[in-house]
Amino acid sequence: MRDDLKVGVFLCECGGNIADVIDLDEVRDSLDVEFIGQFENLCSLNGRKIIRDAIFDHNLDRVVVAACSPISHEKTFQDYVKPLNPYLMDMANIREQCSWVHDDSERATHKAITLINASIEKVKQSDAVDPIYCQTPDEVAVIGGGIAGMNAALSLAKQGTKVTIIEQSPSIGGHMAKIGKVFSPVKIAEECGMCLLNPILNELVWNENIEVLTNAKVIESERRAGTYNLIVEQSPRYVDTEKCIACGKCAEVCEVEVPNDWNDNLSMRKAIYRPFGQSYPESYVIDMDNCSKCGDCFRTCNMRAIKLRQKPEKSLLQVGSIIVATGHKLFDMEKRPEYGYTRYADVITQSELGRITGVNGPTKGKLLKSNGEVPKRVVMIQCVGSRDEKPDGHRYCSKICCTVALKNANIIKHKYPDTDVLICYTDVRTPGMFEKYYKHTQENEVRFLRGRPGEVVKKGDNFIVRTEDTIKGEFVEIEADMVVLSTAMEPSMGTREIAETLNIGTTEDGFIKESHPKIKPVATDVQGIYVCGTAQDPKDITDSIMQATAAAAKVSEYNYGGVEIEPFIAEIDKEKCTVCGECISRCKYKSMSIQDDEIYIDPMSCTGCGKCLVDCKQRAITVNGNVDEKIVATINGVLSKKREGERMILVFLDNIGYTAADNIGVNRLSYPESIHIIKVISVNRVRPRHIRYALENGADGIFIGEFPGDLMYDEVERKIGMVKECIAEMGHNPERVTFSKVYIPYFTGLARKLTDFDNKILELNEAK
Amino acid sequence: MKEIPDKNILLFRSCLVSVEYPGVEASTKFVFDKLGVDYAISEKQTCCTGLGHYSDVFDQLSTSAIGARNFRIAKDLDRPNLVMMCATCYAINKKSVKLLNNKDELREKINNLFDENGLGHLKYEKDELKPTENIFHVVDILYNKIDEIPDKIKYDLSDYTIATHHGCHYCKVHYEDTVGGVRDPHILDDIIGACGCETIGWYDHKRATCGTGFRQRYSNPELSFSATADKMNAICDEDVDIMVHLCPNCHIQFDRYQHLIADREKRKFRAIHLNIAQFVALAMGGDLDKVIGAKAHTVPIDSVIKDLKEVEK
Repeated sequence: MRDDLKVGVFLCECGGNIADVIDLDEVRDSLDVEFIGQFENLCSLNGRKIIRDAIFDHNLDRVVVAACSPISHEKTFQDYVKPLNPYLMDMANIREQCSWVHDDSERATHKAITLINASIEKVKQSDAVDPIYCQTPDEVAVIGGGIAGMNAALSLAKQGTKVTIIEQSPSIGGHMAKIGKVFSPVKIAEECGMCLLNPILNELVWNENIEVLTNAKVIESERRAGTYNLIVEQSPRYVDTEKCIACGKCAEVCEVEVPNDWNDNLSMRKAIYRPFGQSYPESYVIDMDNCSKCGDCFRTCNMRAIKLRQKPEKSLLQVGSIIVATGHKLFDMEKRPEYGYTRYADVITQSELGRITGVNGPTKGKLLKSNGEVPKRVVMIQCVGSRDEKPDGHRYCSKICCTVALKNANIIKHKYPDTDVLICYTDVRTPGMFEKYYKHTQENEVRFLRGRPGEVVKKGDNFIVRTEDTIKGEFVEIEADMVVLSTAMEPSMGTREIAETLNIGTTEDGFIKESHPKIKPVATDVQGIYVCGTAQDPKDITDSIMQATAAAAKVSEYNYGGVEIEPFIAEIDKEKCTVCGECISRCKYKSMSIQDDEIYIDPMSCTGCGKCLVDCKQRAITVNGNVDEKIVATINGVLSKKREGERMILVFLDNIGYTAADNIGVNRLSYPESIHIIKVISVNRVRPRHIRYALENGADGIFIGEFPGDLMYDEVERKIGMVKECIAEMGHNPERVTFSKVYIPYFTGLARKLTDFDNKILELNEAK
Repeated sequence: MKEIPDKNILLFRSCLVSVEYPGVEASTKFVFDKLGVDYAISEKQTCCTGLGHYSDVFDQLSTSAIGARNFRIAKDLDRPNLVMMCATCYAINKKSVKLLNNKDELREKINNLFDENGLGHLKYEKDELKPTENIFHVVDILYNKIDEIPDKIKYDLSDYTIATHHGCHYCKVHYEDTVGGVRDPHILDDIIGACGCETIGWYDHKRATCGTGFRQRYSNPELSFSATADKMNAICDEDVDIMVHLCPNCHIQFDRYQHLIADREKRKFRAIHLNIAQFVALAMGGDLDKVIGAKAHTVPIDSVIKDLKEVEK
C-alpha cells in the first residue's frame, strides 16, 4: 500500500536563506513521517552521505527534499538519493516559492508545511522509472551540396563522422560556383569566387568520410528511435563516373545545343555536358530530356563510359541526424512584368550579370549587351520582390542584394570606367564593415538614387527607367541601355520539398524554421534535423558557412552526448490500439507515426502532454509515471493543510511558468501566501476533473499559466474556456478559474497577476 | 480561382453607366442573355455613393449604411450575388461588406440607426454576405463563361488594333479577389481573346491610372490630364483603334476628354473607347444604337467600326 511507504524528509536551512524566515522546528513537529532531519547546506557534498545514510538507517522508500527550487538542484538530489531510483525523490520548493517571497514568519512556516506535505503525498505516488537514453547513429545526411552543405559535411567529416551529401543537380558547388567574383568588406577588393570554392571542393572530394550522391533526392523519410531511414532516389547520369575521364570528346560530337542553365541560359551547351569546369563528380552527364539518342557520343567515347540504359535507382540511407542545406532560388521575374525582363534581352538579373562578368561565363568576362556592345549606362534596381508588400512580393529584406549590387557596380567601374552605373535603392543596407565598401563604391563614382522604379520601357534603342527620386521628391526618367534587377532570394523548390518530406516546420515565407530564432538558430522543430545556409533565410556566403559549421557542431553534440530523456512519455498498448491514426493527427509535437502497421512514439519528441490520451477512443495510450495520480495527490496534500478561513489558490505551471515563478523569488518580489504553485510536466495534463476536484475539496481558486510559444497553448486556452463553462453548470463560479500567459522574463507581470487573482478570490469569498 | 456564380445575380446599376453610357448596361444584359446568365435589376437599388465618397461628401458610415440597404434588397430578391458594371461600385461594395462583417461597432451603429428610423427591416447580420463570394464585377462573370463566348461570336473584330485599360478599383484595391493578374492585368485581354481577337498585350503605362482620381479631374486637372495624356500617347504610339475598359470613370476620362488632350498634346488621337460588355456585345452582333448605345459616345464609334464582317463558321 502506498500509504505504508516510508518517507524521509530532509529540510535544508540553506545557510539561513530558508531558516531565517521559516520556523523549521515547527515544520519538523507538524509532519508525520518515518524520518525528518534538518541540515545547514544539503546540496553540499556531505549532503550525499547524510541522505544515503538516512535511507539505509530508516529503510526509506521515498525521499522529499525541502529546499530550493528543483530547477536549481533536482539533478543533484536525484543523484544523492542513490541507490534509490531518482524518480522516488521529490523537491518541495520552500526557498524561491516560500521564504524568498513571504516575510510573515508564521504564515510562511504554515505554507512551507503545506508545500512539504504536498510533496510527501506526491512522492508516495511515484514509481521507480528509468530515464530513457537515446544514442542515435553517428552517420549524417547533408541535403544540398552548395557552400553551406559542403562546409557542414567537411566539418563533420574532419571530426570523424561519416557524411553523405545528397545533391539534386549533377554537380556539387551550388550558387557560389557561378557567382563570379566575391568580395570581403575589409579588403575592399573583389576576388575570384571559384578560387575560394575550389580548395573546399577538393578537400571534400578527398575526404574519406564523405560520400557525394549527385542527381539524387530524398523522396521518403521515416524515423524510428532516433534513426532516420531515408529513401534516396538517384536519377541516371548515363555516364559512368568511374570510367569517364572528362576528356570532352563526347560533347564535341554531340549535335544537340540547348541553353546552358549554369550560365543562366546566356550561352549554349550540348545535350552531353559537364556543368562547369571544376564540377564534381569530374564527369560528363547526359541531359536525357534533350538528347536525340543518335549514339554519336557512345561511338566516340574511348573509355566506354556512356551508359544509355541506366535506370533511376532507389537506395536506403540510415542516419542519426540530418542537415538541411537546400538553399534558395531567385524571384520569378514574370511576377514583375513592369520591369520588362521577359520582353527585353538587356534587362537582366544580378545573377546573370555575375555570369556575364565572370571569366568562365558566356562572354569570357566582357560586359556586353545582347548586340555585342559595351553598355554606356547601367541602371540597377534594388528590392525586386523584396521588401515588397504588393501581391506576390516578399515582405522581408533579402539581405545580400545591396552588397551584391555594390560589388557588381565596382566590377563594372574597374573594367569600364566610362560606363555610368546608377543604383536605384530603397535603403542601402551595409552594416558593419560593409559600410566601408559602400563608401569605396561611392568614391568609385557609382551613383545612387533613392527610389523604387515603377517601370522600365523601351523607347527607341534605349530603356527609360521611371522612378520617383524620393529624396528630391521628383519624378525622374532615367535613360539606360542595360538594366540589372536585384531579385529577391526565396526558398528553393528543394527547400520546399524537403520540408514536406521530413515534416519540418517552415516560416510563412517557406524557409525552414529554426526552433528558436534567438537561441537555437540551427535546430529545426524536429529533433535531429538541423538547417543552415539560405534554406533558413537569406544570407551571404560567410553567414552560410558560419551556420553550416554551427549545425555540424550541434550534430556532434548530439552524436557524442546521446540524449537522456525524462521517462514520462506516452506508451501504446498494442493489444488495444486499432491504428486508427487519431493520435498522429492530434500530436502537436509530431512524435507519432505508423511503422510496420503499429503506432510508434518517438521518445525524443514526445513531451508527455497527454493530448493523445484523451483522444484515443480505444484508451490504448498511457503516459508513464502516474502523472494523474500525482496531480490528485499533490492537490490533496495542499488542501489537507487548509486552516479555518485560509484562502488557498492552486497554480499549475509547467517548466517555463515555474521558472518564471522562481524568478519572482530570486528577485525578492512577493505574492500572497495563498498562492500554491504545483509543477506539472505539461499544463495540458491538468484535466477538467482535477480542477473540479480541487474546487470541491477546498481550493478557492485555480490559476493556470502557459507560455504562448508552447505548441499546446491554443489547445489549453480552449480547454480552460470549456472547463469554465462546465463548472458554471455545476454551480461553481467560473471566475474562480483563470488562464494566463506566462513568460520567463516577465516575472513581475506574473507576480502582479497572482496578486490580482488573489484579490479577486478574496472579493468572491467576501461576497459569498 | 474564386467561385464565380452564373445565377441569382443582382445586376447592380451604376449611376455613371446610366447617365453617361447607357449602352454599357444594355450591352451587359445583351451578353448575359446570350450566355444564359440569370440576373435581374432592382428599381429599389440606389447609387453605391462611390463618387461622393471619394470626394469626401459621404463618410464611410453613410456609405456602409447605403451598402447594407442595397444588400438587403439583393437578399430579399434571393439574388445575393451582386454584379457591378463599374469598378467603383465594385470596390465600394466589397469594402462595405468587409466592414459590416468585421467591424461590430460600425454594424451595430448602422443597425441602431435603421431601428431608430423605422427601417428595422434593413438590418444587416454579420456574415450575411461575403466579400469574395458575393461581390463581383461583370468581367468576373464573363471570364467564368469564357469558353462559351466563342460560339456566340457573330462579327470578326480581329483586324482592329485593340488595347485594354484595367480600372484601378478592380485591380488594385482588393488584390485577393482580382481575377487575371494584378501586376500585369489581363482579364480583359483574355475575354477579348475569346472573341477571336488578339490585343496588343503589354504597352507602356498599361497599368497606370486613367487619371480621373474622382475630384482630381476638377480640382487638379493638370495632374489628372497629364496622367491621361501619358496613356493616350502610349496607345497612339501603338496605333490602337479600340481601347477596352471595365469602368465608366475611365471610360469618361478617355472618351469625353480625348479631343481636349489631343489639343493639349498637339497630336491626333483616333482610338474609340468601349466597355468590355460593349465590345463583346458588338462581336456578338448587338445593334450599334439599341445595344451598344453608340450615340452616347464622344469619339464616334463609327469613326473606327465600319463594315463589320461576319466570322466564318
